[in-house]
Amino acid sequence: MKEQLDGLLQSAIKEIDGAGSEEALQELRIKYLGKKGALTAVMKGLGALSAEERPVVGQLANTVKNQLEARLDETLAQVRDASKRERLQRERLDVTLPGRRLPHGTKHPITLVIEEISEIFAGLGFQVAEGPEVELDFYNFEALNFPKDHPARDMQDTFFVDDSILLRTHTSPVQVRTMLKHAPPVRIISPGTVYRCDSDATHSPMFHQIEGLMVDTGVTFGDLKGILTTFVNQYFGKGIGVRLRPSFFPFTEPSAEVDIACVMCKGKGCRVCKESGWLEILGAGMIDPEVYRHVGYDPETISGFAFGMGVERVAMLKYGIGDLRLFFDNDVRFLQQF
Amino acid sequence: MIVTYNWLKEFVDFDLSPQELSDLLTMLGLEVEGVRHVGGGLDEVVVAVVEERSQHPNADKLSLCRVNNGKETLAIVCGAQNFKTWDKVALAQIGAVLPGDFKIKRSKIRGEESCGMLCSEKELGLAAESEGIIILPADLPLGVPVFDALGLKDTIFEIGLTPNRADCLSVVGIAREIAAKLGTTVKYARPSVKESDVPISERAQVIVEDSDLCPRYTARYIAGCSIGPSPAWLVRRLEAVGMRSINNVVDVTNYVLMEYGHPLHAFDADLLAGGKIVVRRAAAGERFTTLDGQERVLTESDLTIRDGEKGVALAGIMGGENSEIRQETSNILLESAYFNPSAIRRTSKRLGLHTESSHRFERGADIDILETALDRAASLIAELAGGSVATGTIDVYPRPLPRRTVRLRVDQCNRLLGIQLAANEMAAIFNRLEFKVNVVEPDLFDVDVPSCRVDIEREIDLVEEVARLNGYNNIPVTMPKARVFSDRPTRHQRLEKQLRNVLVGQGFSEVITFSFMAPGVLDRLLLAHDDPRRSVVRLRNPLVEEQSVMRTTLLPGLLDAAARNINYRMLTLRLFELRRVYLPAEGQELPREPLHLAGIMTGVRYREGWNQERHQVDFYDVKGVIEHILDEFAIGPVAFVQDRLDPYFHPGKACSILCGNELLGSFGELHPDIHDNFGIDQPVYYLDLDFEKLAMVSSDNVAIKPPSRFPDTFRDIAMLIKDETPASAIVECISGLRIREVECAEIFDHYKGSHVPEGFKSIAVRIRYRSHEKTLVDNEVTPLHQRIVDTLIKKLAVTIR
Repeated sequence: MKEQLDGLLQSAIKEIDGAGSEEALQELRIKYLGKKGALTAVMKGLGALSAEERPVVGQLANTVKNQLEARLDETLAQVRDASKRERLQRERLDVTLPGRRLPHGTKHPITLVIEEISEIFAGLGFQVAEGPEVELDFYNFEALNFPKDHPARDMQDTFFVDDSILLRTHTSPVQVRTMLKHAPPVRIISPGTVYRCDSDATHSPMFHQIEGLMVDTGVTFGDLKGILTTFVNQYFGKGIGVRLRPSFFPFTEPSAEVDIACVMCKGKGCRVCKESGWLEILGAGMIDPEVYRHVGYDPETISGFAFGMGVERVAMLKYGIGDLRLFFDNDVRFLQQF
Repeated sequence: MIVTYNWLKEFVDFDLSPQELSDLLTMLGLEVEGVRHVGGGLDEVVVAVVEERSQHPNADKLSLCRVNNGKETLAIVCGAQNFKTWDKVALAQIGAVLPGDFKIKRSKIRGEESCGMLCSEKELGLAAESEGIIILPADLPLGVPVFDALGLKDTIFEIGLTPNRADCLSVVGIAREIAAKLGTTVKYARPSVKESDVPISERAQVIVEDSDLCPRYTARYIAGCSIGPSPAWLVRRLEAVGMRSINNVVDVTNYVLMEYGHPLHAFDADLLAGGKIVVRRAAAGERFTTLDGQERVLTESDLTIRDGEKGVALAGIMGGENSEIRQETSNILLESAYFNPSAIRRTSKRLGLHTESSHRFERGADIDILETALDRAASLIAELAGGSVATGTIDVYPRPLPRRTVRLRVDQCNRLLGIQLAANEMAAIFNRLEFKVNVVEPDLFDVDVPSCRVDIEREIDLVEEVARLNGYNNIPVTMPKARVFSDRPTRHQRLEKQLRNVLVGQGFSEVITFSFMAPGVLDRLLLAHDDPRRSVVRLRNPLVEEQSVMRTTLLPGLLDAAARNINYRMLTLRLFELRRVYLPAEGQELPREPLHLAGIMTGVRYREGWNQERHQVDFYDVKGVIEHILDEFAIGPVAFVQDRLDPYFHPGKACSILCGNELLGSFGELHPDIHDNFGIDQPVYYLDLDFEKLAMVSSDNVAIKPPSRFPDTFRDIAMLIKDETPASAIVECISGLRIREVECAEIFDHYKGSHVPEGFKSIAVRIRYRSHEKTLVDNEVTPLHQRIVDTLIKKLAVTIR
């Protein structure tokens, strides 16, 4: 009987090791360990043995059973593992085929620039202020020290609705409206749409500006340089040089044009900066006392500055766009790149 | 303003390269926008002397010459006849490249060797036509490039002047800036006029009647001039600064205009009736023909220069045809006057007549420069046109303007700029600018401002001069020591950004279209005649008719954008614009400018791809977008109704959105006529929401309910329902029962066609039951479900399938 069990174990192990599939292993389990299985038959024969032999053979049979079960489980695990590996091997996708995408939208680059710049200035304590685009001459010109019959008005070709109403030529009227409404301190930026009657490859009759205004006690021209340098370094990159040079705007004095080191050539001189190494991006200056007079501020106790930039210009530099008209063509092949 | 390097050097000494000068000017606020070099590239054309001249053996019209360039003597064959031995000539040496890419090579001309060429003015590009070769002044050194020797090499600077700097509209003015920056002085030359013994009072008379518009008028009389061409140097100077040569007298007035910045006018004195000048306002409706041959109709606000009988010039703007300098002019009356800036500007603007003269007068001329400019011009005319200048100057200046004195507080200046400049350093800056400083107290100045600086009237103007001359770059960079405060963006600003984000998330690309529209576009939108959007803000001076009114709807801009993209074969589009429309408001000066959200969808639902089905978008895609927005803004409940629809919608495939009584907007498929009117041949879906109303009904505080932890169970109901009953009635009917265990009821099938009787539709609803307290069992759900079925049958007369 012992020999019989040994033989059974040997042949069963041989068969188990030769089985290549889960099904074959299942069959072997039934063949040997099932109710009508070979080992079961041996176990049934135990009753015919003597009392001395019975526990010995019984124990042996149990051992064989355990060995077989262990071998079966182990082999099953191996086979499953192999078949899983084989399946994973088989399930190989062409990962170069394009993915399935939902339609994706984009914000207009002008919006992106306005949002980003507004965020930077929000961090410096400037709140966004808005105002009408169809505006009174008073807010757009008079209160900003552009008297009627003054050549300064030629700086801005204006769309008129009638003698006193126009399309704002800059977002500066928002400064006036804000100062008329609030006592100092005032710290705002006003992004928005502006209009000038001029249309060619480099001028659009509608475009966008962001202006800033800060009025408080003891604000200096040096502070203006500080705020603008901070902005330029945050928006265009650390270490980008900033240069202010004298200029003229009726509502600021002293006035400045603000250049940054050319972001294309890093100041070496290229086509974009017309070989000068500098790019003009901002107009700025200390608020002219005449403006304070119009809004009822006392220039002896407060001071402040204003600055403004063209959003399209900034966007063109930021994204390397060469043609202004792309912003208003609304070609999705352009828009979807942002 | 255009100036040249050499011209500036006549007035100020500096040791700067053209590039350095350009940078210096730019950093003074005189922005150099362009630099051009002239007379370059001809270094191989040098001064040489003709040592021998003999007849060419084989050609009658050619000479053989021996020409010395200072280093060697060369054989040259020349065809010109206008020179003799020992004349100085312009020799183009071997290797020179003349204008027109004409290369000078060693050659043999009719058998005789020629090692270069003697040049004419035309060949050197100095004149359009010329006869013979140039004979150079005898004192020029041999071997030096001719252009250097003649001072023809120059650099031209184009300066973009800001309108406040009238004083820099001249060579002298810019020289003054250079001198101030460098700490040197301007070389002013007081022109000396050789006068005849005829007093001017015998020849001319000036009466200023409207001295408010003409505070000062000076004049000189020059007799016996011969009008002719100007000398080459004068022509070249004028051409360099962009002026055309007319004749010697007119050219002198233009030369002095550029030099001193003061506009002059020369009259043919014999054409002045009564030898008289009267300065007076025009009569209303008066007709006057200016130099350019245009007849102008004048008003009483236009100032004219007249003689005893008629107008002879439009003061400060342009002379008249009837008194201009002609070939036969002999006696000249030269005007140097000062006119009121605003008056000049008004007239110039009204007539659309902008001249070098009006440009300067409207910015403010220098009332003290009148005599200098007049004398400079008179002496040049006498020199170039051979006239004799009558003794004396007429000067009508009834109320001389007082000297302008402006007070400056040194510490105020430092405080504003954020610098610490000592009082004496500030005083030095003013002295260099030719401002006179009177020290009232150690840090209190009264500064006398020269008459040319019309821009300096207030303390702040002096502060700017200090900043400018001291250098903006020398002002330290600081951060404001201001109070800390911060405000978050307003609710509207936050909602606006949120709305943009929702649209982008829904696959829409943002467009920005012009705020203008064509008035006729409203017809193309099929708007009724009494539609409020037909009331528009109209521009008085539009660039083109298509952009002549402010838009009252975003639709046309989006349709144009869609049409343009479709033209490029971009057939699947999701575009949106969140911008203002401009609506005239009753009783208000300014229109309302509410923000609107408009969007367009067309083409396929998803991106086309190898693994995606090609479905065209339809009404329910737009509705899905709308539902997303309403969810995001926590707006509800709303009703979708098919009345109050705009005519540009397909009447059956569009609806309005009502929240209570507020019309939030509308959406749907556009009317086929709209597609035709905008040249689009595929269905386009449109949505338009009033942002202000959206913001108004949006709720900021959404109550969040915790989800149930128990499993759900669902039951479906399939029913036939009358076609005209809206599907929403089913859902409303179910939710109207307010059964707590009904989590939601969703329509999951909608069918019309075979097996469904005419006039009916088949709708299937899935009702999801779930309790917050326990797991629901069948016999708890069944009675609830039966209640729903019974109610649907009773209220909506549905047939359960």
